[in-house]
Amino acid sequence: MQDNINKLFKAIADPTRRDIFHALVLATSALSITQISTQFDMSRQGVTKHIKILNDAGLVQMNEQGRNRFCYADPKPLKEVNKWMQFYSQFWDDSLDKLGNYLDTKQT
Amino acid sequence: MTKTITKEKVFIHPIDQIWNAITNAEEISTWFLEADFKAEVGYNYVFNSSGEDCSPIIGEVLEANPYILTYTWIVKDTPGTTIVTWKLEDLGGSTKLTLAHSGIENYAGETAIAMFESFNGGWDNCINGLTSYLKEEVNAR
Repeated sequence: MQDNINKLFKAIADPTRRDIFHALVLATSALSITQISTQFDMSRQGVTKHIKILNDAGLVQMNEQGRNRFCYADPKPLKEVNKWMQFYSQFWDDSLDKLGNYLDTKQT
Repeated sequence: MTKTITKEKVFIHPIDQIWNAITNAEEISTWFLEADFKAEVGYNYVFNSSGEDCSPIIGEVLEANPYILTYTWIVKDTPGTTIVTWKLEDLGGSTKLTLAHSGIENYAGETAIAMFESFNGGWDNCINGLTSYLKEEVNAR
């Protein structure tokens, strides 16, 4: 579990990988490595490296069709990141409630 | 995916009362976290939590003019810096508070992992512990 989180954060820490992931999210169909390298003006090797890291993190799945590999996005693992957002969101809700209670008791 | 958390809340209390509650160390310590805090630009503050083994929050005051208060928000011993801004607006007796917590995208790579462990492991327990502590305090009065 912890290992998965490590991989996930490693994957999304890099802006280029975030861009590739977003492009795959927006794409209506799976994209080949060649299509991604054209879109990002990047070598196939470079794309393959990024895709591998995204794939390890579970953010990108791959289909092999003949000599081509097609990639598509799988946003499910991002739930882990959302957990933080939820954590802080809840934390601030609670804190503002406490502030309200404090102000009420102070007034009386 | 948005990385800024924004909360808006209208309080029936006058603006200066709320400003004091968020800038005065003694008041912050009462409702929020035990604080060494001064609303002076450049002041390095510390918010401690009540439990043991809980990372304090540290940061620097970036802006403290009525009615905007901004500081960096760092969980100690982690490199990620986030920013918390409190803004108050006078609605003629009542007060609108807008809180923004930004920079959570800075929790990337190793930082993200440390932050996640910190939150998952103990820190939110620390906060929860504090909440119940405060409830007891209020009830005891």
